[in-house]
Amino acid sequence: MRKYILPLSAVILILLGVILSPFQAALASEMLIAGLFALSLNLIMGFGGMVHFGHAAFYGVGGYSYAILTTRAGLDPVLAFIVSPFIAAVFAVVIGWLCVRRTRLYFAILTLAFGQLLYILVFQARDLTGGDDGLQGLPIPPWLATEQARYWFTALVFLACYLLIRRIAASPFILTLKAVRDNPERAQFLGVNVRRQQLAVFVMGAAFAGVAGALFAILNRFVAVNMLFWTTSAEPILGSLMGGIGSLIGPVLGGGLLVFLEVNITRFTLYWPMILGTITVLFVLLAPEGLVGLVQKWRRK
Amino acid sequence: MPVETVLIQALVGVSSGMILFIVASGLSLIFGVLRVINFAHGSLYMLGAFIATSIGAWLANQSVGFFGALLIAPLVVAFIGALLEMGLFRRIYQREHLLQLLLTYGLTLIIADAVRIFWGGEILRLTLPELLSGTVKILDRRFAVYNLLLLVIGPAIAIGLGGLLRYTRWGRLIRAAVDNAEVLGALGIDTRQIYTAVFALGCWLAGLGGVLIAGRASVSLQMDSEIIVQCFAVVVIGGLGSFTGALIASILIGVVVSLGTLFPVTAGFAQALPFAVMALILVVRPWGLLGKAER
Repeated sequence: MRKYILPLSAVILILLGVILSPFQAALASEMLIAGLFALSLNLIMGFGGMVHFGHAAFYGVGGYSYAILTTRAGLDPVLAFIVSPFIAAVFAVVIGWLCVRRTRLYFAILTLAFGQLLYILVFQARDLTGGDDGLQGLPIPPWLATEQARYWFTALVFLACYLLIRRIAASPFILTLKAVRDNPERAQFLGVNVRRQQLAVFVMGAAFAGVAGALFAILNRFVAVNMLFWTTSAEPILGSLMGGIGSLIGPVLGGGLLVFLEVNITRFTLYWPMILGTITVLFVLLAPEGLVGLVQKWRRK
Repeated sequence: MPVETVLIQALVGVSSGMILFIVASGLSLIFGVLRVINFAHGSLYMLGAFIATSIGAWLANQSVGFFGALLIAPLVVAFIGALLEMGLFRRIYQREHLLQLLLTYGLTLIIADAVRIFWGGEILRLTLPELLSGTVKILDRRFAVYNLLLLVIGPAIAIGLGGLLRYTRWGRLIRAAVDNAEVLGALGIDTRQIYTAVFALGCWLAGLGGVLIAGRASVSLQMDSEIIVQCFAVVVIGGLGSFTGALIASILIGVVVSLGTLFPVTAGFAQALPFAVMALILVVRPWGLLGKAER
């Protein structure tokens, strides 16, 4: 039974494109992007045990790379989409190299600070990035003109990334990383280069965040500077928390759910941050294992 | 560019650094004792600033208004901090870092939204009394009296905190709680009270920083994230848990940003300069200027 869940979900995901209205298709795309973003963070945070509070920087770099390459450099959209994650990865090499010099809380502080640094740079480099106006009316491939087409594109890219991340999660690389997470000293004594492992997963996660950012740029045809703001970094963390940190499907569900809630709640009230804050506090206090953890607990009973 | 201009601008930077130091020392104090990094520290600073503008407006009379705010607003923030510690933080000391960070992040969202609802999105100001709003001549340049006040308050707080921790009974208890809270508890001391008091003191410092910034710059909703990120730069550069390190790092950041705005090459990126300093420190001295290697 279990082995059919994934292909079945994939088929459902694709078929959904037929019945969704344009508005629903756009919302569903946003949810998938948020899911991918949370999943990319979970590589670093769930498997690496590294609390990363600057992940939005790479999401933003992915989006801005696409935007700048297509508008300022006149690059073909498809090519720009392929290149963007690699640019995010290059940024991650530099920032990650600095951040993995410290661990645990200090690592979290550093990622936040360097994430904000990129935010400030994008904000200030008006000529290149449009400053606080962002970049609008981005070119996209002609075959992505409708919401439905963009949904299918997003869903396919999402599925490809999901399968890739699933492969990575089962690889010896991630197993070693989990050993580092659970006992860094021991891993080091066994000859694991801890910092290099951490840097590698940091860059990998950043590349997938870059994919999510570029997808966002294609879907909405704009990029805005708060894609890099630290509150955006918190979104995939909250998504992972709600879904369940360390699992594969948890962050996807949590990330998607968060977008769904935001879109639907902001229609009725202006107090979304207040509600989100309260949800966060409640999850931390009452259900730190997230929804996946709750389901597992309920099953065991 | 004349040397005097650069020197005065550096002095302005030092006075900004004083506010940063006061806020960051609160963050550092709370971390040192409770081992929790409080994202909401910047929100409490913002709260202090907003409360100060309200007290200032309420007391109307300018000279009373500012000093009243300086006295009352940090106490209000400290009180709110004590409530937060007893209601929320107390429950998560044993939890992993991620959950602690997320809880405090949730609080930043709640506090920021509460401030927006209560005060509206307006940009507010705290009016200074005449005594503090003038300028004096230093090196033939104008220098704000208010900045002089900051230059006095900063070191006063540093000395006060140091003295409190080193020479008073309460300070000894705090240091004992840092070394071994269990033994302290076994000796019949209620460590929970110490934690609440330390947390409140840290929040008082955040509130004080908020009032002081309100006397100098406009008060708005983005203050919380700006200061918290700068505080993080301070603790990375200075070394987390070290007051002297925090003081040096705050002054360094204040001066670098202030001088950065002076030169056309760096003017646009002055706000990014602290992070450049931080990156540099990380490469040369990963534990910060005065920090110890982590356990």
